[in-house]
Amino acid sequence: MRNRKKIGLCLILCCAVFFSAHAATDSTRVYIGQVLHPQQEEMRSHAIQRLVALKQASSFPFLEAINNSALYVLGEKAITTGNRKSEEESFPVYELYPIHRILLNAEGKPLLLNASGLKQVEISRADRLQLIPVANWLNIFNADDQKRAMAYGQLQITADTSLLNILSGALKTETNPNVLRAGKEAYYTMLLNNTTDIKKARSLMDLLSANDGDNAIGVLTAYAKQKELPQPLRLYAQQKASSLDSHYVFLQRMQNLFSGLSLGSILILISLGLAIVYGLAGIINMAHGEFLMIGAYATYSVELLFNNVLHIQNTDWFYLAALPVSFIVAGAAGLLLERLVIRRLYTKPLESLLATWGVSLILIQLARTLFGDLTAVKLPGILSGGWQVSPHLVLPYSRLFVIVLTIVAVSVIYWVLFRTRLGMQIRAVTQNRNMSACLGIDTRRVDAITFFIGSGLAGLAGCAMTLIGNVVPDMGQTYIVDSFLVVVTGGVGKLVGTIVAGLGIGVFSKVLEAFFEAVYGKVLILLGIMIFMQFKSKGLFPDKGRSAED
Amino acid sequence: MQIKSPQLVNLLFILFFAAALPVGNMLGIVSINTISLWGRYFCFAIAALGIDLIWGFTGIMSMCQAFFFCLGGYCIGMHLLLTATAIQGQKLPDFMVWNNITSLPTFWEPFHGFVPTLLLCVVIPALIALIIGFFIFRSRIKGVYMAIITQALALGMYLLFLRNETKLGGTNGLTNFKTVLGYDLNASSVKLGLYLVSLAMLCLAYAGCRKIVESKFGKILQAIRDSESRVGYTSYRVLNYKLTVFVVAALLGGLAGMLYVPQTGIITPGRMSVTASVEMLMWVALGGRGKLKGAIIGTLLVNCLYSVCTSLFPEGWLFILGLLYVLTVLYFQKGFLGLFETMGNKIGTTLKRKPAGLNPTS
Amino acid sequence: MLLEVNNLAVSFGGVRALDLKHFSLEDKELRVIIGPNGAGKSTFMDILCGKTKPNTGEIRFNGKPTNGLTEVEIAKLGIGRKFQKPSVFPSLTVFDNMSIAAKMKKGVFTSLFFKASPAFTDKIHAMAKRVGLSNVLHQLAGSLSHGQKQWLEIAIVVLQDPRLLLIDEPAAGMSDKETEKTGELLLELSKQHGVIVIEHDMHFVKQIANKLVSVLVNGKLLMEGAFEEVRNDQRVIDCYLGRANAQLEILSV
Repeated sequence: MRNRKKIGLCLILCCAVFFSAHAATDSTRVYIGQVLHPQQEEMRSHAIQRLVALKQASSFPFLEAINNSALYVLGEKAITTGNRKSEEESFPVYELYPIHRILLNAEGKPLLLNASGLKQVEISRADRLQLIPVANWLNIFNADDQKRAMAYGQLQITADTSLLNILSGALKTETNPNVLRAGKEAYYTMLLNNTTDIKKARSLMDLLSANDGDNAIGVLTAYAKQKELPQPLRLYAQQKASSLDSHYVFLQRMQNLFSGLSLGSILILISLGLAIVYGLAGIINMAHGEFLMIGAYATYSVELLFNNVLHIQNTDWFYLAALPVSFIVAGAAGLLLERLVIRRLYTKPLESLLATWGVSLILIQLARTLFGDLTAVKLPGILSGGWQVSPHLVLPYSRLFVIVLTIVAVSVIYWVLFRTRLGMQIRAVTQNRNMSACLGIDTRRVDAITFFIGSGLAGLAGCAMTLIGNVVPDMGQTYIVDSFLVVVTGGVGKLVGTIVAGLGIGVFSKVLEAFFEAVYGKVLILLGIMIFMQFKSKGLFPDKGRSAED
Repeated sequence: MQIKSPQLVNLLFILFFAAALPVGNMLGIVSINTISLWGRYFCFAIAALGIDLIWGFTGIMSMCQAFFFCLGGYCIGMHLLLTATAIQGQKLPDFMVWNNITSLPTFWEPFHGFVPTLLLCVVIPALIALIIGFFIFRSRIKGVYMAIITQALALGMYLLFLRNETKLGGTNGLTNFKTVLGYDLNASSVKLGLYLVSLAMLCLAYAGCRKIVESKFGKILQAIRDSESRVGYTSYRVLNYKLTVFVVAALLGGLAGMLYVPQTGIITPGRMSVTASVEMLMWVALGGRGKLKGAIIGTLLVNCLYSVCTSLFPEGWLFILGLLYVLTVLYFQKGFLGLFETMGNKIGTTLKRKPAGLNPTS
Repeated sequence: MLLEVNNLAVSFGGVRALDLKHFSLEDKELRVIIGPNGAGKSTFMDILCGKTKPNTGEIRFNGKPTNGLTEVEIAKLGIGRKFQKPSVFPSLTVFDNMSIAAKMKKGVFTSLFFKASPAFTDKIHAMAKRVGLSNVLHQLAGSLSHGQKQWLEIAIVVLQDPRLLLIDEPAAGMSDKETEKTGELLLELSKQHGVIVIEHDMHFVKQIANKLVSVLVNGKLLMEGAFEEVRNDQRVIDCYLGRANAQLEILSV
């Protein structure tokens, strides 16, 4: 009954078509019955042939099931299976005719059936080949989202308008927003290309651009290029296309800005530890990047632990556990490094640079020996996907998480440094080590804690990095030069400077990368920093006052 | 004529490498590959001398020496590749053909001639050092800032050279050289010749650096290392001095690269990575910075060790190198040379103690 | 006038470190500046020698303005500075320290091809004798005692042959005998050069203050006058009293 109404409402069908469709519905039912229970094989072939020729919207889900070799019978009903969830044995099932819908059980939940409980209707290959003329159309009833979206994309190019009713019918039952958008785009495009009514064309163009589909600009530009188009329509299409275009450029900029923010966040997480440690001990820790690597491998190890020792698979909890673990493991490594090497090199930045470079070589080689060249951490399910602000602006949850993590970490560090007694001690030692020692501050303890925090932050950054990229032994090296630039630009040992410079360099890199290629963007950033240093050789926030040089 | 002991050491060094090794080669004891290997080490040592001047004596940590080394290397590499291409009767080097470059880029043109190339090998690094140095030193970037800026510079240039658009062969660099001045680069005699030229240049560079550090100019460099502001208040333009030594170091780097590339037959951007520059600093630190001989000894020792270790236990080399870095900085601030000296002094004092006991002073 | 300063002011992060309405010095005059800690004495010298840039104000040295000149240019004009913390070249010998400082052309090429003439060497030996460093001439400056370093630095500054010597706490860390010797040296120097000395030690000030003493307090010039006049001024005593009793005792020698 619903099908009839649906067809009746269809915009471009005239009355004659309406009546013939009415008649065709009855014959469709007959032919479907013949396909399911043929008296002989020829009858089935003929029935399929007729169904294809009739091009009835209601029969398409049924035909698609044939096309997919997934036609089953359940009692008297023709059904097909939906997408099976990977770890389950059973499928949701869909009724195909007369209404295409998911079957529910007594409790109103999707009915799940085992593969063994289904009776398949075998259709020969020759019979399936009969479906070729409508193959493009069939996919819009596929259970797979991507296949449906692609099918709509292909429909858009074809000029076959005789089946618009099928399209509109399919769209009414479509639930996935992305596929729906692609479908609407195809639908409006076909209507637009087949109308001569100026008013209607305009409203269709409005709909097209409001729909925000992937190809809207292409459709509008192609439309504007038609030869015998009235001038006002041409202008209108061009205007729509260009306004959409500038809208997308804006969204692209937002996307770049967002990538810049997330890169900047990572840089801040790494540089913050670097800046604190430099300020406190006057050492340049080249192995700081390796704490990031240690954090990443700690995350990887926690994942292994969950999967192989605790046997808790397919869970996001491992990542939550990895956050503190990576902080603690990297912090402990930093503590060890401080005890063994760095303690002897306080206030000797250049010597410490070389020694810690050696340490970083050792750590990288150690990671390579232990873990091999390339590993990756599974992205927690909750962080996969992204926040779709608009179809052209998707903010991945993983990157959002990195930004949030940085904000939290920075806030905590600020709180520790400026609101706690420990923070006061750290600041005191940073400013005057000897005086602090005289005032009874245990500078060794303060050093140890500061190193722990600084290295731990890098470890946390490493944990965050596993969301964005692979885990490789020399991953720290990629970021170390950049984060040193952040520290230098911000003014060595200045936290506000580090944050501002980190964000600045992150955002600038991504914005420049959008205009130039990545490498040139990087070189330009470098030039920019060199020029900046011409004017502010002590960074953004230099120390003021009569401080003794040399 | 009495020969002092340092001169004796110098003489022995030159005699061993200039006479003993080539003779050993002729007798078949020393393979030509070993000879060529040492030739390359000498090139590294020349670059290390430059680092010692700027870091050891002036106290400026420049982390882009490998970049200047590669500039010299790329210059001679372009010349060698152009002659090789001409020999094969082609118009353009292979990598250009693959990258759809139809005509020789203009900046390749000067490298057709041998003499202009040699000049450019040292002039280009020196000129670039002059420009970079001017801006760095003008804004009084020093210490850690200097180290990080030059490191970032090395990284930026490395990334730039990796690109095909720079028309210098991208990741693969320049290779497939055939001849230099018409002599086959693969011939043993040519290899031996290049080795001897490298040795001679090393000796010359050493003598030149010796002159520099012993002159008043050299004293001022050390004065800058000790107290830059005092040098300024003593009315020296520190900028000029730093710039000069930076340019001289770059020049030595370029010279070293120029001698290095014909002997290895390849130059890639990998040679100018950040790691390469830090490694060069390490040679000097290990040998004993602030001493010209230290730079040479450090370079030769580390590279020998590298050759031995990579063939014996390739996995372990980075562990050894890393450990060397740490131990040197922590325990041998004066490097190998300092270690020898303290040992020498100890032996000296034990030897002298006896006569001192016989002639007690009031 | 050798040196004239008008309306000189500099602030560090909102704190006005120096606010000097007027200051002048005649040629071959020895002036002592005293004042409590943080009075702006060293800052004043920093500005004079170009280390710190003033916010406002005018400095005329020998009639020429020095505003905007670099340290090197100011040093070339003839202002030499001795710092509070001895600033010498520890890894060079005393002789090299002095020969670097000695007045000559100081370009890169001159230095590269410089050969010490007998006259040049004699000059350095003479200076070494004057500051009592003859017997350590070939030791590394880093191995000298604190007092010897102070003298070496004075020698370095004097060898530049400046018109004006700025000397920051020369007697710090010296024994009484050494201090007295330093005083004699300064008095002798003031026969050929203009000299400004910053000093805390009132015995020493009494020894060298042959003309005027200037008192700086909170960046401002409190008064100028002969040593006795300054010593008995109530405002000066109050200032020091507010700071520390010890200094009051020193003042009432």
